[in-house]
Amino acid sequence: MNALTVSTAISSGRVQLVSLRKSSLDTARLRVLWVAMIFAFVAAIAVIRIGYFGVSDRAVTSTSLEEALLPPRGELTDRNGVPLARAFPAYALWYNPDAMGDASNPLVKSPQRVASELKAIFPDIDVADIAEMLASGRSGYIRRRVLPEDANRVQDIGELALELPRESDRHYPQGSMGAHILGFVDSAGKGKVGMEQVLDDRLNDPVLRNTPVALSIDMRAQGALEDELRRGMLAVNAKGAAGIILDVDTGEVLALASLPEFDPNRIDSEGAGNMFNRVTNQVYELGSTFKPLTVAAAIDAGSVRDFGKRYDVSPIKIGGFTIKDSHDLGASLNVPEILIHSSNTGTARIADQMGGEKLQRTWMDLGLNERPHIELPARGFPIWHDDWPRIRNMTVSYGHGIAVTPLHLASAYAAMVNGGVWRPATLHKLEAHEVPKGRRVFKASTSSRMRQLLRMITLYGTGRNADAKGFRVGGKTGSAEKPGGSAGYKKTSLVSTFAAAFPMDRPRYVIIAMLDEPQGTTASSFQRTAAWNAAPIVGNLVPRIGPLLGVRPDDTRDVDISDLRPMVPGED
Amino acid sequence: MSATQPYIPRSGERAANPDRFRGSRTAELKIWWREIDRVLLFLVLALMAIGTAAVAAASPASADRLSTAEVRLPELYFYWAHLRWQFVGLFVLFGASMLTVDNARRIGVLLAAAMLFALLLVPVLGHEVNGAKRWIEVGMRFQPSEFLKPGFAIALAWIITWRLRDPNLPVIAMVTGIMGLIGALLMLQPNLGEAILFGGVWFVMILIAGVSVQRIAVLMGTGIAALTATYFLYDNARHRIDSFLGGGTAFDQVDLAERTLLAGGWTGSGLWLGVRKMNLPEAHTDYIFSVIGEEFGLLVCAVIVLLYLAIVVRVLVRLADEENLFVLLAGAGLVTQITGQAFINILVNLQLFPSKGMTLPLVSYGGSSTIAVCLCVGLLIAITRRNPFLTRETPGLRAILSDRLIAEERTRP
Repeated sequence: MNALTVSTAISSGRVQLVSLRKSSLDTARLRVLWVAMIFAFVAAIAVIRIGYFGVSDRAVTSTSLEEALLPPRGELTDRNGVPLARAFPAYALWYNPDAMGDASNPLVKSPQRVASELKAIFPDIDVADIAEMLASGRSGYIRRRVLPEDANRVQDIGELALELPRESDRHYPQGSMGAHILGFVDSAGKGKVGMEQVLDDRLNDPVLRNTPVALSIDMRAQGALEDELRRGMLAVNAKGAAGIILDVDTGEVLALASLPEFDPNRIDSEGAGNMFNRVTNQVYELGSTFKPLTVAAAIDAGSVRDFGKRYDVSPIKIGGFTIKDSHDLGASLNVPEILIHSSNTGTARIADQMGGEKLQRTWMDLGLNERPHIELPARGFPIWHDDWPRIRNMTVSYGHGIAVTPLHLASAYAAMVNGGVWRPATLHKLEAHEVPKGRRVFKASTSSRMRQLLRMITLYGTGRNADAKGFRVGGKTGSAEKPGGSAGYKKTSLVSTFAAAFPMDRPRYVIIAMLDEPQGTTASSFQRTAAWNAAPIVGNLVPRIGPLLGVRPDDTRDVDISDLRPMVPGED
Repeated sequence: MSATQPYIPRSGERAANPDRFRGSRTAELKIWWREIDRVLLFLVLALMAIGTAAVAAASPASADRLSTAEVRLPELYFYWAHLRWQFVGLFVLFGASMLTVDNARRIGVLLAAAMLFALLLVPVLGHEVNGAKRWIEVGMRFQPSEFLKPGFAIALAWIITWRLRDPNLPVIAMVTGIMGLIGALLMLQPNLGEAILFGGVWFVMILIAGVSVQRIAVLMGTGIAALTATYFLYDNARHRIDSFLGGGTAFDQVDLAERTLLAGGWTGSGLWLGVRKMNLPEAHTDYIFSVIGEEFGLLVCAVIVLLYLAIVVRVLVRLADEENLFVLLAGAGLVTQITGQAFINILVNLQLFPSKGMTLPLVSYGGSSTIAVCLCVGLLIAITRRNPFLTRETPGLRAILSDRLIAEERTRP
């Protein structure tokens, strides 16, 4: 009985299965046709689209003259439109032994003859070398750059194997000038080092590449800066030099030079070694140039109210370390005298009186605890300590135990003299409305005091060699021994810096000139300190760039220092 | 007791192998020649021949582009490489087409299982190229998703036909689960294009499997919603869709492809006389259709579209006469796999679809993917083999259609 029911049940299930099989097969056979219809629909769309393309005029309009004239990479100019980097459609001279379809016999004439004909066009080539290359049957560049008229003459030789492929090339009409700002374009077409790298996407953007990018650089100032720096560097056999000219009100960099430089038109191993940017990437202990910043912080904090107050300048013994001055300055000095004579002990006592918290705060407000603010990819991180004991407060006040880039110093000086507002440095030309608001670091009153004090340093102190007549230069020297050696510092390896601003009655530009390891030579009266090598650079530079940048020499104008003048003894 | 009692497997005699004619190798070849779909084979070989010419046309452009200062690739580098791959591919194609339906099914299912496993390994062992992890390196570099393609349709068809033995099996849910897993793995890579292609195959198969029209409508709705969601949640997709809708910037790949496609006009500039192709990235793979447009003209482009359409229509119309549900499903799935990819690639080249990074099967240079496509075609030919001397036992399409109409009439009040 049981077996019977099961067997009937199964057989009824079987019947169900058979009908299911039939119905799903029927459905599937119909639906396959649906799929075919979907595909036919898609194919119809594709064919209609092809037909539409065929009758439309899109192919004709897709190549325009405008597009053909578009440079393959955007150009860079300085703030006045002087071209700094151009796309240069050049010819190259390529030897293709297969051009005639017979690699064993690539030339019509003898290799010797072709080489001498090439020599007539390019006098600098070596006939024997070229003849050997032509005879060897290996393809390769004979020259990377050929002028159009030379290209025609090469054609006239009548050798098919001499090919003249057009290669778009990057040309820097100003040679090595501003090399560290511009960078270069490598063989793969990628920008490297400078703004070529930063603006790589922008310069390659097909929509924007027609419009040149204007940098903040003024090429005339750049040329003058590089010229004076190089002269100063060679005169004292320095290892290197760095310089920067910064607009104090906008943060625009007008010139930036790191020597020795490289030639972006011709990258070789020597040039590659010089790509390191001393202005933005190398950190230095910049020494006494920090003293005015310390004094400004103290005035701002209210701990220096009376400029006539005399500070003890005897050596300070603290924690097994003695702070002393380079030479005896007497028992005490007032504030202007401390800066004029560049007293370490006096500055340290001012900082000590102010307290570490305020000084550290000011340094951080000036951005000395972070990488410098500029577009360039190579930016050095300062040597900065978050713990700030009393001794660090004192040494940092005169620029030791803290290492920053020259660009940091330039931005800080700009904030000190422009009314107290710090702004990031930029290499882009800024329109008036694009100038960043910046952040206030010093009060305006502090800033105007600092203008007086800086001016007095160049009038009566260590900066006298920078006092270009009529340009009201103010600034501070700094000569710091480099770390290393047995006593922690090397006595004879200095970094001498002059940090200046002009004109002091209404500061417009900050200039930093820095020499790396200057030697005592006749040119510097056998001195290594900044007063004798860096300050004269600024003194020579300001008269050259002042008139170009809108600052005329004027003997009748100057910052009013009459209230501080009596505090400093000596001739007027 | 429920009416739909499942088939209960019992111990018993194994079903005897159907008698097959065993003759000499020549006789087998003759049978093969009679049984296969020769029109399909001819169409496929025609496309492969066009592919040979097209890769010859595109090779200088890609060789020039991929040459570095140190290594200069010879102009026809990709052409010779393509010929080698095609040669191996043809072996695979004919080899696979000689299989019986059962063996084709077994190989397909095994391949699908193996490649699904490999796909699972990709996130772990994968080899990253251009920011996407798609490749596995074992002696040679291959994309598991490429070799999953031939197996996928067969495995899905096999699973769906389980229902014929046990109507209670949730086969649709099972294939949907597998699809979801593969889709997720592909999106991880990220490889949205392949995910869409596999989704298309899955959709075609469940459509044929008889999912009701209402559910398909719901599915299309969710599909659109899912695409919208990927747009907002999935960066890879968003960039591509954005650049597609925004018309893209001048000189991007799509724009360059269109310029190339149009440069030849109706009849083309002639072999190796194209200029535009030299600026085109991926000329020998993703944008070979554009190179064909420049060198052989828009007419040849239209012919290629019609060739693919001919393949799919030929296979599907022939399947509409089929009596074996597995063959029907697997055949439709495989042909969708091949032509679906082709149409996506063509629509990308015609700027009707966002750029997908997908090759034109049978035509593009593809390395190991050429072999995967040939395997696909070979299995398709094997599965659609049919004895030309047998006539249909079931009613024809006309009868089915009229049956359905009558049934509908009856249900109407």
